[in-house]
Amino acid sequence: MPTYDATVVTKTKSAGGMILGKTAQDEFGFGTFSDTCAYAVPKNPIDPERTCGGSSGGAGCLAAAADFPHIAIAESTGGSITAPAAFTGTVGLTPTYGRVSRYGLIDYSNSMDKIGVISRKVYDSALMLSVISGHDPLDSTSSRAESGDFTAYVGKSVKGIRIGIPKEYFSDVDRKVSKPVEDALGRLEGMGAKTVDISLPRTKYAIAAYYIVAMGEASTNLARYCGMRYGAQEKIDGEFSEYFSSIRSKYFGEEAKRRIILGTYVRAAGFRDAYYTKALKVRGLLIKEFKEAFAKVDVLATPSMPILPPRFDEIESMSPLDKYNIDKMTTAPNLCGFPTISVPAGKVDGLPVGLQLIADHFHEGELISVASAFEGDSD
Amino acid sequence: MRVIAIKVMIGLEVHCQLNTQSKLFCSCEAYPQNAKPNESVCEVCLGYPGAKPVLNKKAIDHVVGIGIAMGCKINSETYFSRKTYFYPDMPKNFQITQYEVPIASEGTIEVNSSKIRIRRVHLEEDPARIIYANGSLETTSYVLIDYNRAGVPLAEIVTEPDIGSPKDARAFLEKLSAILEYLKAYDQSTGASLRVDANISIEGGERVEIKNVTGFENVEKALNYEIVRQQNLVRLGRKVERETRHFDEVAKTTLPLRKKEFEEDYGYIFDPDLPVLKISAEWITRIREKMPDLPDKIAARLADEYGLGAYDAKIIVYTGSDFATFFEKVCKIHNKPVEVSRWMINYLLKSLNWRSERLSQSKVTPETFAEFLDMIDKGKVNERYAKELIKEYVDTGDKPSEIVERAGSPPTHDEMERTVKNVLKENVKAVSELKAGRLEAKQYLIGMVLKETRNRGDPKAIARMISEELKMPL
Repeated sequence: MPTYDATVVTKTKSAGGMILGKTAQDEFGFGTFSDTCAYAVPKNPIDPERTCGGSSGGAGCLAAAADFPHIAIAESTGGSITAPAAFTGTVGLTPTYGRVSRYGLIDYSNSMDKIGVISRKVYDSALMLSVISGHDPLDSTSSRAESGDFTAYVGKSVKGIRIGIPKEYFSDVDRKVSKPVEDALGRLEGMGAKTVDISLPRTKYAIAAYYIVAMGEASTNLARYCGMRYGAQEKIDGEFSEYFSSIRSKYFGEEAKRRIILGTYVRAAGFRDAYYTKALKVRGLLIKEFKEAFAKVDVLATPSMPILPPRFDEIESMSPLDKYNIDKMTTAPNLCGFPTISVPAGKVDGLPVGLQLIADHFHEGELISVASAFEGDSD
Repeated sequence: MRVIAIKVMIGLEVHCQLNTQSKLFCSCEAYPQNAKPNESVCEVCLGYPGAKPVLNKKAIDHVVGIGIAMGCKINSETYFSRKTYFYPDMPKNFQITQYEVPIASEGTIEVNSSKIRIRRVHLEEDPARIIYANGSLETTSYVLIDYNRAGVPLAEIVTEPDIGSPKDARAFLEKLSAILEYLKAYDQSTGASLRVDANISIEGGERVEIKNVTGFENVEKALNYEIVRQQNLVRLGRKVERETRHFDEVAKTTLPLRKKEFEEDYGYIFDPDLPVLKISAEWITRIREKMPDLPDKIAARLADEYGLGAYDAKIIVYTGSDFATFFEKVCKIHNKPVEVSRWMINYLLKSLNWRSERLSQSKVTPETFAEFLDMIDKGKVNERYAKELIKEYVDTGDKPSEIVERAGSPPTHDEMERTVKNVLKENVKAVSELKAGRLEAKQYLIGMVLKETRNRGDPKAIARMISEELKMPL
């Protein structure tokens, strides 16, 4: 049990919300399929043979399956809200980095971690964002940008809104996924939105840069778990370093260990400039490229995930690198701190497909408007 | 043995616990008085999962002030980084420090008329305190950890290897410590301390680091020991290897901690919980305008205003700001500055040192000290007695006049005459020497009389009595 409340928990409670419990996720948020959970693996309510997505898989699962009014708090570092929303047919809102206080959030990659929402309806996500957003003196990276009532954007007309379609996000994508997304864009055009073809060529560097920064930061965050002040403890035997190593070897999962080792490598003397420092430069260039696009369009639209929710046996045969590559729709906006929303765009073979919308920093309002207009039309 | 003049290069890293109310990244008290171990802690300074640092602006003010005092460049954009290594005193197993761009860089401090370059002054968090439960690092079987110290703000001041001798290293530290104190960045009365790492190399040899030496005298001793050790190695045709050693305070020697084959790899990354710190020109101006006078300037003023010798003025100033303030206050009541300075430097300081006490912590006040000097001045107590009296005065803080009263009345004229007669009777040899014209014999006899009267009585009066008794001219 934690000894203190996270700011989002405090805000939820003081707005009259009830915290029911904690939902499953990949260990420390390290995963795309919730298959590396420390306790139990959540199963997709639509097909229990398939993943809910991850890392906030439990949040997506409960948002989809709960038969009572429920909004899930979720977390995204590189796509962990969009993935479960897309795979469970729910709405996932990932706010701008700094929009919601991270105080109390167990850190994965502090320069990218964002607390957001998964819900059945866009309105619920907008409502919850209104509750949990705003400046927090306890989180030095939390923004002073005006927050206010995001439900005001629900149901706004999309007439004249410019939607950019970045071509890099439609190539090398399962046709079963890209087709419904293209149809969705057609429907938005029908409502008066304008689509604009866009190219974001630097996207191809996003996954590499994302994983370098994320693992570099994660490997320092996880250093504190050494069996001394909290978490697993055992009888101390031998020197402190032997004890720390034995606890860490025994209790960290395989993916956590992989990320600690890779993360330590990318920031080691002699490699730091080639990996960590370069990845930060890539982030700067990617932000610039996105900003140029947002000078021309209000939002960008992409498929949420490049595949349909896979079966667990399919996931088992994937290499770690295959899994990392599944994040190609989400890593760039997450690395750059742009807000995104994933909204259901219909079903293929009975499985949900998500439409991801990306906006400029602190423009969640546009995402909510477009997503709610589209959602209304789908109903 | 031929003494070879060799070039010695010494660089210092000084960690100063900064004078702030709260810790560097949380609102826990930085220097809780009478706190039990692990009482002044929270989720931030214990490094609990999810807790985030919030920077203490006062600590930045201090580092900017230190930078200005040393003529440093103050960097307008500065960053915090994570220095990752595993150690039981590190709550997060990384330390938040400054790596890329420190708050201040490229300054100088002048010591014994040579310029010591300051490479950088940066801000970082103190780890917890390790208590070796049964003995020292070598002998302990377990340690206790007190997180009250975890997160206390530290200014790290790093010099270039410009210091030419252990003596200069000590002088540098004494000067630095006084500057920090006058800036109010460092306040020993709260329990804050200065810790020193020194690195030293002799011509042609590798750099040896001596970690965590407490006390400036010990720094000098450790460095002197290192020079001899390194010279001996060279003389024996061996190489001085790059390593880290620690100073054994009991044996006054240095012992190896670990060999360093390469620079330790701390895997520095920017701390992603702390945004870039921008220090505006206005911020720097605000600090600059509030800068107090620095020790050298104050010493020059004291010498000028009170007619003190330059050396005495420096001693008064460098002993501490409390000492210098006290001096001026006493002079306001007892306007004989040279006497005030003489008694403060020679006797008051000695009594305080003997009690390991700072003036500001002692019971001595300017008013009572002025009374003490006035009593000497008016012949109410003689110098000898005064030197005894000051010890009890510093011990108790009682008014000197009350202490004298308590000690009983001084001997009467008749009692004094009796004592003089006795002393002359018992020291036949000295008396005959005096009669033969050896004046030192008279001082000896006066001394013996004072001893008999426990230093009570005026030496001039005693001298007169001896002359009268022996029927000699004064």
